[in-house]
Amino acid sequence: MGGGYATMPSPASPVITSLLREPSAALAGTDVRLTLPLTRSLLNEILAARPPDTPVKQLLIDPESGNRFRVHLTAHAPLVGSVTRRITFATCGPVAFPDQPWLRFDIVDGLGFLDRSLISLLQGQIESRLPRGVELTSHYLRLHVPALLNHLGYQQLAPLLHNLEVHSEANRLILHLHLKTD
Amino acid sequence: MHPVLQHLIDNDFSDLTGTRVEGQIALSDDLINLGLHELLSQFIAPAPAPQEATSVPTTGTGATPSTPDPRALLRKLDVEKLHYRTEAGRTIVEIACAVQK
Repeated sequence: MGGGYATMPSPASPVITSLLREPSAALAGTDVRLTLPLTRSLLNEILAARPPDTPVKQLLIDPESGNRFRVHLTAHAPLVGSVTRRITFATCGPVAFPDQPWLRFDIVDGLGFLDRSLISLLQGQIESRLPRGVELTSHYLRLHVPALLNHLGYQQLAPLLHNLEVHSEANRLILHLHLKTD
Repeated sequence: MHPVLQHLIDNDFSDLTGTRVEGQIALSDDLINLGLHELLSQFIAPAPAPQEATSVPTTGTGATPSTPDPRALLRKLDVEKLHYRTEAGRTIVEIACAVQK
């Protein structure tokens, strides 16, 4: 996969810097569960704040009930130029560390035979353009959470993540997070 | 200000409705002392220079503060449990709270 290792972002606060440097020591004894609903408007605000140099021109997410969400995207693809698709993803099981580090979303609708063939053909190019820890095939998108944290410069937080699960309901994704130090 | 934070402020934190935190948060003595030092540094830091006469005065409706007022979010918190205690080498906060509409 592409992308190099990032260095840890350096916040202005010495407390936050210390916390991020050794979170397992700074938070030893912590055992907390967080439920975070991400509304459609907030999710799309987050997506709109993505780096400007990504090959995706338009990216919108539309959470639906039944643990499914639709992604509307317009992207530049090799060979075919600009493509617009509306892809439906289904959320899968939770991430549980350290045994199951992948957060997986199955593609259940929106890609035709030609799309799947093109993705398979360009698999190497796709991988080289995605951040480390992000894997996209013609059948699923999955995130290797420790690798992604590493790529973002927050690798020290990985041991704290005991459980991470995403559910979808109408107009919002629900993020369940269990943070615990050993 | 980051556009996502600005969005949360503009919408009076309504996007966070349903957020829930439950469990215990432990903070090491080192972290607490670092926080106290940082807080003290802010109190004794020299006051910011007054605005230049040529600058446009900012008033309530048009201006956006550089940091959000925490009271706007705290007003929405429903705190079911908040216990404070200490153990050797750390401070522990037991908490159960949620963000209401």
